[in-house]
Amino acid sequence: MEGMSVYAHAYHSQLLACLRDTHAKTREWIGEEAFGNAGKAYIAAHRPQSWSLDDYGDGFASYLDEEWPDDPDVGELAWLDWTLRRAFSGPDAAAVAMASLTDVHWDDAVLTFAPTLRWRYVRSNVAALWRALDEETPPTITAPGSAPPALRVWRYGFSTRFASMSAIEAACLDLATMGASFGEVCRDLAARVGDEEAASAAGSMLGDWLREGVVTAVR
Amino acid sequence: MPAGHSTMETTMQRNGIMPFHGFGIGLRPPHYEDFLAAPARVDFVEVISENFMVDGGRPLDILHRVRDGHAVALHGVSMNIGAVDGVDAAYLRRLRQLADRIDPLWVSDHLCWTGIDGFNSHDLLPLPYTEEALALVCANLDRVQDALGRPLLMENPSTYVAFDGTRMSEPEFLAAMCSRTGCQLLLDVNNIYVSATNHGLSTDTWLDELPWQHVRQVHLAGHSQGEHMLIDTHDAPVPRGVWELYAKACARMGPVATMIERDDHIPPLAELLAELDMARDIAFVATESRHEHVA
Repeated sequence: MEGMSVYAHAYHSQLLACLRDTHAKTREWIGEEAFGNAGKAYIAAHRPQSWSLDDYGDGFASYLDEEWPDDPDVGELAWLDWTLRRAFSGPDAAAVAMASLTDVHWDDAVLTFAPTLRWRYVRSNVAALWRALDEETPPTITAPGSAPPALRVWRYGFSTRFASMSAIEAACLDLATMGASFGEVCRDLAARVGDEEAASAAGSMLGDWLREGVVTAVR
Repeated sequence: MPAGHSTMETTMQRNGIMPFHGFGIGLRPPHYEDFLAAPARVDFVEVISENFMVDGGRPLDILHRVRDGHAVALHGVSMNIGAVDGVDAAYLRRLRQLADRIDPLWVSDHLCWTGIDGFNSHDLLPLPYTEEALALVCANLDRVQDALGRPLLMENPSTYVAFDGTRMSEPEFLAAMCSRTGCQLLLDVNNIYVSATNHGLSTDTWLDELPWQHVRQVHLAGHSQGEHMLIDTHDAPVPRGVWELYAKACARMGPVATMIERDDHIPPLAELLAELDMARDIAFVATESRHEHVA
């Protein structure tokens, strides 16, 4: 029945176009053919459920992780593509103003983070890969363990951003996003690296978070 | 605003959609920058509702800036008005929130179904034009219009299959739907052309049966030739056959808000506005001749 084939074709082509749009750097990285094959297999196994077509890519990065277990760069690049896209239209929240922090008692202070903030551990140099693809310079895979082991994504104003993190920063961010006070974060940090290094690292980390719009309130 | 004016508007909102005669475009991302940089010669723009039913970020900021200078119509693709299991309540809450923020000219969607049992095809699937389907659509429309606090415009779809059990023509279905629910029509002239061609029907008969008094907006668009059928692709300029059909429609309905839809192979804004000028010219000539005919 030829009319039905019009609907079938529209269904598949629209979902594939959606995945291509929401995972543009991943597509560039693995190539059109491999991306098309992965997309078609994902579509065959995943029926869209949300009224928003934009939601369809939720799960594609995990799917690629499973399908390409020896190439963590693929799934991690897809996670970065997807998370940046979600941050783009995620909830608004103004970054905390530095001038408002003069009387903060930092030991008790609890930080509120941008609602678009997401982070994860990574095995590849995904941040460098994404940037190289974006700048149209040759992307290069580095040896496992040679790149920062974690990545955070957020939106500052209307600008979506990402930054690599050390294992120490990732552990601190993990604690802080679970509601630990800055003092508790610092004590956990000191237990890991010693008092002297903890003081310097905590100050540097906090400075980055405040300057980069990752923190939206301090209370 | 004087209290009397406010009351009058509330009454009109409840009882129907305020007439608006103008020419607009479907505003798409490639044109955002040009559109915001300089005033464009349009009376309104239409945006895809779902693109702005988001939590925040640049899309909503752009829409608010557009709204500051233009009338905006919200046009949805995911309402699923033909759903046997009813329209999704979370979807309606989001749409209501957007409509309350934007204060649109009107809110529209398509006469179709998009999915069932939690599955969403993201396509505008055809309904059989039966009394059973009509009752279902009308019941859903009643609930949706209550939830949104405003009447809806429903658009006639392009279709590629027809149903053996169909008991009425599409225009008859549309007329009954409007009459029973108070909804109004977004008449897509290209969709009439595509559906009539695909099903071997007469566009003139189609026009003869349409309930013109309910038409509040017109869509114009291009289509493409598939292997065996015309496909409503919105990827080309409005073709001659659709312009001719639009002229006939104008002669029957008089001035109605009209816009050009383009969703693929989107040309520069100036090109789209030049196409819109053709719509203005055709509508002017057709309306003048209509007046002469009436006189």
